[in-house]
Amino acid sequence: MPAPSETEQVFEYEIRIAASAETVFEHFTDPAKMVRWMGTEATLDPRPGGICRINPAGHAAMSGRFVEVERPRRLVFTWGWEIELLATPPQSTIVEVSLTPDGEGTVLRLAHRRLKPDAVRYHRAGWEHYLPRLALVAAGEDPGTDPWRDLPVVTKELGI
Amino acid sequence: MEVFEAVAQPKRREILRLLAGRELGATEVASRFAVTQPAISQHLKVLKRAGLINERREGTRRLLSLRPEGLLELNEFLAEIMPASLGALKRAAEKEESANRGAGAKRN
Repeated sequence: MPAPSETEQVFEYEIRIAASAETVFEHFTDPAKMVRWMGTEATLDPRPGGICRINPAGHAAMSGRFVEVERPRRLVFTWGWEIELLATPPQSTIVEVSLTPDGEGTVLRLAHRRLKPDAVRYHRAGWEHYLPRLALVAAGEDPGTDPWRDLPVVTKELGI
Repeated sequence: MEVFEAVAQPKRREILRLLAGRELGATEVASRFAVTQPAISQHLKVLKRAGLINERREGTRRLLSLRPEGLLELNEFLAEIMPASLGALKRAAEKEESANRGAGAKRN
């Protein structure tokens, strides 16, 4: 079996959310809902080629494009930072989200592909920080203000 | 120069991109942003004044679309200052970009 490419790695994450797939999906496509769990600002035009721009904590903006939009099961968008950051320029990586109904809830699987080895741990930390917030928001709970809006907090947690 | 001031603002460029190739209601445009409707209305006003977008009414809906004549002004300015060799480079880069984009959805 060939070894995984050293220049492209995948981060995968799975979380069960107590909300319908439709509700979870909307938290990725409706800017007003997105910013409740991630983002100080967001511009989302959920159609292939449409804008997917998110400023997760107000320190740097992620500029991507939607690639696949299959409500409410699957969503693919490109991901990269507008400023030189974490070895991940715009359009250089891709995020795939799949939603599978599970009883009353939904299992969300997220794969962040084509990450450079150096970039994996930062993006892992990011998704591990934000996706549990999504789980709370989609289930109708309040995750509170994002602590990462405080720059010293995020730099300490990411070790940058 | 009003056109250039209009496109100097990132949100207004995003609005132009949203309207590329289609007509959208003002409410739909605002719904793509996590900012208040008045903020977007303000941006729409600037774009309209600069002649970059058209607005028509259908009942109570305000429908917006790009105004080609306004965009022409931007295009003419770029064409005027762009050296011929840069034009060729631009076309080559765009060709590559669209080829990449076409392949983008399939790549893993």
